[in-house]
Amino acid sequence: MNFGFSPEDDAFRAEVRAFIRAHLPPDVALDVHHWYNPKLSNYRRWQRILSERGWGAPHWPKEYGGSDWSPVRKHIFMQEIYAADAPDAGWQGMFMLAPVLIEFGSQAQRERFLPPMLRGEELWCQGFSEPGAGSDLANLKTSARLEGDEYVITGQKIWTSDAVHCDWGFFLVRTDSTVKPQRGLSFILVPTNAPGLTFRPIHSIDARSELNEAFLEQVRVPKENLVGEPGMGWTYAKFLLEKERTTSAFLYFNQRQFARAKAIASQIRVNDVRLIDTPSFAQKLARVEADLMALEWSVLRILAGEKNRHNLDAVVSALKIRGSEMQQRVTDLQIEALGPMATRRYADAFVPGDSPSEGPDWPPYTIGPANLFLNTRAATIYGGSREIQKNIIAKLVFGA
Amino acid sequence: MDLRLTDEQEMLRDALTRFIQECYSFEQRRAIVAGGQGFSAEHWRTFADLGWLALGLPEEAGGIPSSFIEPALVAEAFGSALVLEPYASNIVLTSRILDRADNATLRHEALSAMTEGKLRVALAHSEQQARYELDSVRTTARPDRTGYVLHGTKFLVLDGPSAHKLVVSALLAGSIVLFLLDRHTPGLKVYPYRLLDDTLAADVVLEDVHATDAEILTRTDVVALLEEARDRFILAKVAETLGGMERVLQISGEYARSRSQFGQPLFKFQATQHRLAEMFVEVQETRSILYCGLANIDSGTPSRRRAVSAAKVVAANAGRIVGGLGIQLHGGMGMTEEYSVGHYFKRFITTEKLCGDTDYHLARLAAA
Repeated sequence: MNFGFSPEDDAFRAEVRAFIRAHLPPDVALDVHHWYNPKLSNYRRWQRILSERGWGAPHWPKEYGGSDWSPVRKHIFMQEIYAADAPDAGWQGMFMLAPVLIEFGSQAQRERFLPPMLRGEELWCQGFSEPGAGSDLANLKTSARLEGDEYVITGQKIWTSDAVHCDWGFFLVRTDSTVKPQRGLSFILVPTNAPGLTFRPIHSIDARSELNEAFLEQVRVPKENLVGEPGMGWTYAKFLLEKERTTSAFLYFNQRQFARAKAIASQIRVNDVRLIDTPSFAQKLARVEADLMALEWSVLRILAGEKNRHNLDAVVSALKIRGSEMQQRVTDLQIEALGPMATRRYADAFVPGDSPSEGPDWPPYTIGPANLFLNTRAATIYGGSREIQKNIIAKLVFGA
Repeated sequence: MDLRLTDEQEMLRDALTRFIQECYSFEQRRAIVAGGQGFSAEHWRTFADLGWLALGLPEEAGGIPSSFIEPALVAEAFGSALVLEPYASNIVLTSRILDRADNATLRHEALSAMTEGKLRVALAHSEQQARYELDSVRTTARPDRTGYVLHGTKFLVLDGPSAHKLVVSALLAGSIVLFLLDRHTPGLKVYPYRLLDDTLAADVVLEDVHATDAEILTRTDVVALLEEARDRFILAKVAETLGGMERVLQISGEYARSRSQFGQPLFKFQATQHRLAEMFVEVQETRSILYCGLANIDSGTPSRRRAVSAAKVVAANAGRIVGGLGIQLHGGMGMTEEYSVGHYFKRFITTEKLCGDTDYHLARLAAA
């Protein structure tokens, strides 16, 4: 075993850092800093800059614009992206759809969809969950019927993040209701401006509205928009959600937010002592940091392809459980540091850099943490809830 | 020891329950939030008519003397529906400060108007640098020919936007004194904002604010007075949290029965049952610590401090568990603004961070 980063890796880190420093627009970074999920126009700008450098999609195969980086370098790259408050909003397309297209899509689909995704010109949303099918995804009802050369889709989706700002959506639909639920599902691509497709924003407790309901009323798409084989949607969705879970350690997010908690705690004074220097808060930070260090090595073990004696899907579920809880803990540290200043409601309409209302200024670090703390309540719900992940572990490791 | 409510207390509780059922559904509450005033003036009049604004206040000011059980019953009922009206900040916090003030004229005038529902008073004491320390005041009152000139900035003045008058603390010759000022006093500006739980607070800026001797509310043992009143406010918020948690328990149980996944109600999964049971345990413990607080709220400083800090800590922890699991159990629905459970979580978190967080109260408990 060799646990170290090579001198070349360190040089690579310096190169990435220098590039980001030179090219990340400060207003984009500020937007990410305060609102953790930036305006998608900012994401498009940044994605274009990265793709021009050839770094638009490091995890894709080389022939589609990916890098030849080792897993360790991809890790370094993501760490630097996050540490600099650069946007990482396009993950539904980049991390979820793209691997499916590359593995199961047609050559025509890859040529049509991957390049504009890479350049940040086309953004994607995901339409899986339905009002009656959350954790129980196989139970979904939205149907797609083949009529000549077109599929006609009717149904309803929910929790479709960023849908109103996206250009395309990938949907899981039922193309056959006569077979076992999982066998009747297909994976289909729908432009968000398709006639019959409407969205309704859902306001969430963190004062945001990135979630949406999607209503599909006789939406027609060419049959070429079906990915892979009809009836294989469940398999592709599982493939994709496993991709999501690998990133669901949210390691880079967690490291960034932990650093932010420390930054806040070093700016706040309690009885003339910096909060970060008080024993009780320092220990609280250290307790989370210990688990964060373990989480990083959990990610590194998977990235380095360690041969685990347990089922890898179960290991990935463990990562999802710990990573999602960690999101709640690091943001909790931020509001712990803020104390009474965490109670003020900052809403989405606020433009970072402006004063949120008339009146005395509150420190800029008060903007965002409470929203983020509330937002991360969802981390243990989406992408397979904590309960589902525990069921997976029980089943795969213990044969439950 | 007799933990039964008196007949009068039972009647009060029934009246509160009726009001909540008739006037405070989640949708009715949303309409009040959308109104932007942070509360309903109509409801406030109703509270006055029903005598709820007089509970625990002196008879000569139109009050109905009572133990702290009555205000706690009000707070618990209000907590169950996330009532927005500034009950605890007025009738538990500032009315207590007024009741114990030196200035008999101000005291009588203000309390009489408060019990009638005609006057609301907010406490403008906290400042940014203070965090939770009651003795950290930088606002100054400088004597001049006609009285005093005040300078300073107050923050997180709870229910400040709906208040007619403010109790303002300031340093005068090295000691903290309290003034009672009209919110329209020249030089005094109120900047409202919303808190996470949809109540309103304000920053208050005082620039060349002239005050007279007659506006000095009290100058004796101000920090001790503020601490005692804050302890009562905290205990009312504990009761409010308890009421909210009972409601979350009920909502979650109903949801677990009605929502099906994998062909059966969530309720049938043992994981769900255990979660609901864990929430139940927290609610039981919070009711117990509330009783501990009620038993000690009128006792001497050390035991009052101990009991109130313990109550704050226990309720804060329980609120996180019950509110957090409540959201988790509801899945994505729990994250939405249109559904109630997330709002309870936000109220619990807001309460946790006001008037001393868990670290602050653990330290106070340890030192008491």
